[in-house]
Amino acid sequence: MSIGIHSQISAAVYENEGESQRVKRRDERRKALLGVRGLRKRHGDRLLFDIDRLEIATHSAYVLTGMNGAGKSTLLRVLGGLERAEIDSLRFAGEDVLRVHPYPRALRRAIVYVHQHPILFSTSVADNIGYGLVVRGEKPETVRPVVAEAMAWAGVAHLRDTDPTRLSGGEKQRVALARAKVLEPRLLLLDEPTANLDGAAREQVIALIPTMIEAGSSVIIACHDRDLINLPGVQRLKLRDGHLEHR
Amino acid sequence: MNAIADAVARAFTLLFTGDPDLWRIVWVSLKTSIVGLLLATPPAILIGYVVAMRKFRGRRIVIWLAQAALSLPTVLIGLLLYLLLSRHGPLGGLQWLFSQPGIVFGQCVVALPVLLAFTLAAVQGLDPRYAETAIALGAAPMQVMVRVLYEARFGVMAAVLSGFGRVISEVGCALMVGGNIEGETRTITTAIALETSKGEFAQGIALGIVLVSIALLMNGALMLLQGDAHTARERA
Repeated sequence: MSIGIHSQISAAVYENEGESQRVKRRDERRKALLGVRGLRKRHGDRLLFDIDRLEIATHSAYVLTGMNGAGKSTLLRVLGGLERAEIDSLRFAGEDVLRVHPYPRALRRAIVYVHQHPILFSTSVADNIGYGLVVRGEKPETVRPVVAEAMAWAGVAHLRDTDPTRLSGGEKQRVALARAKVLEPRLLLLDEPTANLDGAAREQVIALIPTMIEAGSSVIIACHDRDLINLPGVQRLKLRDGHLEHR
Repeated sequence: MNAIADAVARAFTLLFTGDPDLWRIVWVSLKTSIVGLLLATPPAILIGYVVAMRKFRGRRIVIWLAQAALSLPTVLIGLLLYLLLSRHGPLGGLQWLFSQPGIVFGQCVVALPVLLAFTLAAVQGLDPRYAETAIALGAAPMQVMVRVLYEARFGVMAAVLSGFGRVISEVGCALMVGGNIEGETRTITTAIALETSKGEFAQGIALGIVLVSIALLMNGALMLLQGDAHTARERA
């Protein structure tokens, strides 16, 4: 009898443990924003990278380092849906993404990629920043205050109606960050945001990145910049010999 | 020498006295050229954009054909259209041969390869980051196309102006499909050919002056646009 009761209690304990494990795993999955298994990219016959696993958590920042030509930019472009690659499985925000090609609309809305040398459309700075909202069907009266706030955030409010071809490299990068920020992406992919910037321009761009994470975005930054790599709370990923190392 | 001076003097008289026959010819030319160009422009720009942006089987053949069509003599296009539109041809039921709709159809066919090849070159020459940025910011395919064509607008406008230059100045197709009927299908170029063959140079010279003026206007507009484009590129 006691054995029977003991075994029933044990079973209940094990069941509870199993339940708590399941809850823990579910919570962990919820915290994981992006999970990719088996990500391979080839250029012709050459295998650029073969990544077993890539996990990106919510509200987290990562720097992606690696030698020139290691595939950092390509990896970001694949995640941002600008290049194709072989992907065994992909989960985003707790949901399995069954088809990665064509790039799903839900990912397009949630993930925003910013070029190393961002290009601005030949409209005003304000129109550039509001572009993503406009194409997503937001009304002008909704777009206007969001753009004004983003311009103030990026320190480009004084450039509102300036011809973008007259902007410096640092100003262009800040406009590009503001253009991405207004979309409130779940995951922001920044490709060498401080490349070719120096002095105050570089510092201004670096100062904006933590505030984007505070606003709720996860960020992956491909870079070589020591100041970005050493930002507090930033996790490190390294592409080496075609494999991704989590550090 | 006196004969030439006399012809030129009479040409200016025709121009400035508002000779109705002369201005009717100019009107028919402008009308058929502009309508033909307007009809050819949307499909040519769309095809040029798609060929420039998409990778598909047979893409290089399309580019090769479009570029080869640029050097196709308009008289040959005229001959093909004549066969298509003649009474026993597959499009004979339309009864467009020797009519203004026939000329418009011809101008459309003449303009299409110019518009297509120039648009293709303009879009291919554009920085691919424009399209990528629009895509990354969530633009739908049609919105990406609008953005890319806007960014390539100087090249696209050059394509339209070049297409207009080609149709307003061609003689072979307009002559074969239009038939050079006075007051109906006589265009600037077909009239010049006819009047010259008759030894009547005054109207030919007057129409030549109109044609050169149109060409100067068109090229002036193109230069202004390209000037803006160069300035913008230098600043970028």
